[in-house]
Amino acid sequence: MRIIRVEEIIQGVDRALLELNVRGSQGLPEKMFSALEREESALGREMLTEMIENYAVAEERKIPLCQDTGMVMAEIELGCDVYIEGGNIKEALDEAIRRAYGRGYFRKSMISDPFFGRNTQDNTPGLYFFDVVEGERLRIDLLVKGGGCDNVSTLEILEPGSTVEEVERFILRTLDRKAPLACPPIIVGIGIGGSALYALFLAHKALSRPLGSEHPDPRYRELEKRWLEKINNLGIGPQGVGGRVTCLEVRVATYPCHIASFPVALACSCHVFRQKTLWW
Amino acid sequence: MTGREFILKAPFTVEEVTMLEIGDTVALSGEIYVARDATHRRMLEDWRKGKELPTPLLGSVIYYAGPTPTPPQQIVGSVGPTTSRRMDRYMAFLLEQGVRATIGKGERSAEVKELCAKKKAVYFIACGGAGAYLASFVMKKEICAYEDLGAQALLRLWVRDFPLVVAYDTRGGDLFEQGRSAFRQVTFDEP
Repeated sequence: MRIIRVEEIIQGVDRALLELNVRGSQGLPEKMFSALEREESALGREMLTEMIENYAVAEERKIPLCQDTGMVMAEIELGCDVYIEGGNIKEALDEAIRRAYGRGYFRKSMISDPFFGRNTQDNTPGLYFFDVVEGERLRIDLLVKGGGCDNVSTLEILEPGSTVEEVERFILRTLDRKAPLACPPIIVGIGIGGSALYALFLAHKALSRPLGSEHPDPRYRELEKRWLEKINNLGIGPQGVGGRVTCLEVRVATYPCHIASFPVALACSCHVFRQKTLWW
Repeated sequence: MTGREFILKAPFTVEEVTMLEIGDTVALSGEIYVARDATHRRMLEDWRKGKELPTPLLGSVIYYAGPTPTPPQQIVGSVGPTTSRRMDRYMAFLLEQGVRATIGKGERSAEVKELCAKKKAVYFIACGGAGAYLASFVMKKEICAYEDLGAQALLRLWVRDFPLVVAYDTRGGDLFEQGRSAFRQVTFDEP
């Protein structure tokens, strides 16, 4: 049995949220420099250069990279042998959001109810997904997502036995229409299998991988590479002005599914990628 | 990209906006107004009730943005563009009031593109997600009206060399279409 104090979780998540909104994910500037090397469009290069300048100004002024400091999503993997002392984990995460968004002068964008709500004034609640695993560890995958890129999330139920080419067509057709609105260059998560509900979750799970991480299965690594190239061939470019770099990474997550079904979901992050994994 | 660079001051005359073409870059100085969803809704409601707008909009530039709170000792927080498409429905109204340019991010409706040509207005894009960088071109900020809307109050900004690209011009040009077709290397069955 391992005891983790709830205050440790609050402080860890609070620090991570402050860092993510001001600096983005680890490795993001390097990713953007390599995009700039590949970009041939003059306006595309101008946009990428401004994105790179943005890191320096945000750091210097201690203000967020983007005015949409987003909603906070967290996937929590809690080991069976962990005891959280001093409070409950959901409230701890909300408290961390409250502290970070107040202290960081971040924008509060959450409304308490879609029809009848008001701004909650502290950016709570976050969106939480729990999983219970063996062992004595606690893992929290944080993903901060703005409204613009979340709005392009798409679900389609294909015919059972659909091919790679058919899934590819869904991805390209969807992004051809919607990618310009998601602040490209984007990171794309593709969820395949499970159910309609689960496919969208898988797409976000895929987005929650750190930058530069590889799929463990070589067949999916190959697909991720192929789809990245095809998306970039759409020509949408940084901010939609036309160019070679529309997408920085494609990630795929899959799950077994029903013989009568083939759900595919797509989710994006804008270029201000804000993901971090915390361990206890 | 045209490779042409302009240094302009807002508010604009009709002549100034009609010389602009898609792909031109503009360093904008002067006064601009910040408004997003609720701000537009309020302006339109007021107008319909016969109330005067809080400020004359003749020749003005509207920036679609919702900045973060301003930290102490700073002029403004992070202030990048928001998705323009959500404000498309107010475009005809704004142009009636004399607005000459809007700033935002992303593609807009065919109707807005036509309105820009018909009413002689341009649509600029600023770099989305570069809110901190764009804040560094803001010299002064004040609340112009609707303080009760909080983060969506109508703001007046004084900017210097604010970096923009012309996305729709007064001739019906569309930078997104043109840019994409220049770099497109893929074909697939349309639905």
